Amino acid sequence: MKAQMAIAPDRDPHVSWPPDRSSGVAASVRGISKRFKKSRVLEDISFDVAEGESLVLLGASGSGKTTILRIIAGLEQPDSGRVILHGKDVTDLPARERGVGVIFQAYALFPRMTVEKNIAYGLRIRHRPRKEKRETVDRLIKLVQLEQHRKKYPWQLSGGQQQRVAIARTLAYKPQVLLFDEPFGALDAQTRVHLRREIRALLRQVRVPSIFITHDQEEALELGDRIAVLNDGHLEQVGTPDEVYNHPATEYVATFLGAANLLLGVAARGAVEIGTARLPAEKETRRFRDGQSVKLVFRPEDVRISQDANLPEGCRRLTNGVIEEVNFVGAYERLTVRLDLTHRKGDTDALYQVTINTPEKMTGVPIIVTRPKPEANALRFKIGDRVAIGLTSFSVLPNYTLARQR
Amino acid sequence: MKITGIKHVSGFDVARPVSIGMMLGIMLPLVLLPLLSIFVYGFGKGPGAFVSSLVAPEAVFALKLSMATSFWATVFNVVFGLFAAYVLSRYDFWGRNAVIVTISLPTAIPTAVAGFALLLLWGRYGMIGKYLSERQQIMFTPYAIILANIFVTFPLAFGVIKPVFDTMSRSLEEASATIGATRWQTFWHVTLPSLRGAIVSGALLTFARAVGEFGSTILVSGNLAGRTQTAPLYIFAKFNEGQIEAANAIAIVLALLSFVIFSVLFFARDWLEFAQEA
Repeated sequence: MKAQMAIAPDRDPHVSWPPDRSSGVAASVRGISKRFKKSRVLEDISFDVAEGESLVLLGASGSGKTTILRIIAGLEQPDSGRVILHGKDVTDLPARERGVGVIFQAYALFPRMTVEKNIAYGLRIRHRPRKEKRETVDRLIKLVQLEQHRKKYPWQLSGGQQQRVAIARTLAYKPQVLLFDEPFGALDAQTRVHLRREIRALLRQVRVPSIFITHDQEEALELGDRIAVLNDGHLEQVGTPDEVYNHPATEYVATFLGAANLLLGVAARGAVEIGTARLPAEKETRRFRDGQSVKLVFRPEDVRISQDANLPEGCRRLTNGVIEEVNFVGAYERLTVRLDLTHRKGDTDALYQVTINTPEKMTGVPIIVTRPKPEANALRFKIGDRVAIGLTSFSVLPNYTLARQR
Repeated sequence: MKITGIKHVSGFDVARPVSIGMMLGIMLPLVLLPLLSIFVYGFGKGPGAFVSSLVAPEAVFALKLSMATSFWATVFNVVFGLFAAYVLSRYDFWGRNAVIVTISLPTAIPTAVAGFALLLLWGRYGMIGKYLSERQQIMFTPYAIILANIFVTFPLAFGVIKPVFDTMSRSLEEASATIGATRWQTFWHVTLPSLRGAIVSGALLTFARAVGEFGSTILVSGNLAGRTQTAPLYIFAKFNEGQIEAANAIAIVLALLSFVIFSVLFFARDWLEFAQEA
């Protein structure tokens, strides 16, 4: 493990960085729990980050994501659980012995040092020879494209430039893992999108395993090889962007990442029954027993509507409905459709729940449907049109709402 | 920020010259004229008289003694103030606020009381002083002056440095730690440079205050010409002897010195803290 901190200038750092390991796991968090005074901040958190992978911890503010990052960095101690970096248990090591690179939210560049001094800091405190410092700084300053700014002070740089200095400063001492704390929080929307791509490209070059923290779902989908969704101190789901978006494991994940329609129903004989409507779902309902209360979750873009009951191939029919509202929202069209659903005898609960970008929940019959522009232009609907409604993709989740209200 | 007057009507604003004039009119007899008078008097008999009063051995000694004692008091109080500020803003412990109040206490104590208290402690029959042999006695030596200076300027450097510590972003020190620095390296390379402005201001304030100290010094030093007589004591002694020119020459030097120190404090602030805006 000592080799981690040692600098080997003869090797091309962009290829052999970090050292390849047979296990493939760069960082691993095992059963971390943490309380602050009386409130529980983290509850049995476990996940792995593979070599060269980037993992995004996604969660609302107060979900505990920053605490996880600080625990990995050694700036905070967990009450229980272990932090393992490249196979070595570092839980009891102080921050400075962990070899972790943290890019702080406000970058935390040293204000009295120039760009090159900031970058050389990690080598300076390790008393590396002058030649090595100069070569490392030259290489990194080129990598982050700040050649013209090397003599400047942090306050003379833009936010994006400061962030690049912060990254170069950590890369200089070859960290085992990079931790980004809300890296784009302080930037305006345009710069944010631009920088996100830059960082992604940079990380592909240096191949250092990274953990990002964000509350922005779009950022998470773009930056993460995998996404860990955190809610109120526990992990809801860890998976690829495709998995968490298209196959959310929980209602929270479904509604936190993008918009989702939620309908309450019952699993029965290979289908989901919602009131009098019946949606065939042999595979999706297999894990439920007949009569079990479930939630049907589907995204607005996975809804197909048609005026003549001829729904496209591979699309399962849910029910009929009436167009209630038509909005053009730039790139796509958004429709509100009121479903023809009626209670069965004996039903007591509210049947429907539509959730648009949590946490506001509206109960009622309407669902949200979005259509891409060409489709909307080809076939126009007006308010009051009756349509058939089908779903191309959906998830069936257990209905826990009665047990725990989130 | 540009300051513009409040204009109620267009045209000539009468309030402006009147209020500026009033302000200067009040300041003139209270502050400006007294300062001016030492210069007028000092150079009244020509530069020759001024220079000869200045190079008198006792005068030179008094100035040197003032500089030396103030310097060592400043060194001590800046180092201690830095240390105390670090401890009190980084660690929370029982009685912390009481310590903060106690450190600041000397500001509120009359300097004569401070000198008297030091005598009671260190004097020949004092609590500590009675255990010291004849040769170890501190009172009525230059060390007594340093002790008195330390006492009366104790909270000044601390008071300037502590707020900077409190507002300093912890993430700088945390960043340094994650990069691999020890506590000492972090303090030396990261924390201390950010305190540069506060340290210089604190030192100048302490020094300026110590050079002018009179009340406590006159009690603990014994006011022995050529041995323990500081510059302010020299002014007082010469004035009592009727040697107005001698007193006045030193007064001019002290006035100029404080003028320089306060100009530096005032104008160099921006330079000392240039990177703080980032």
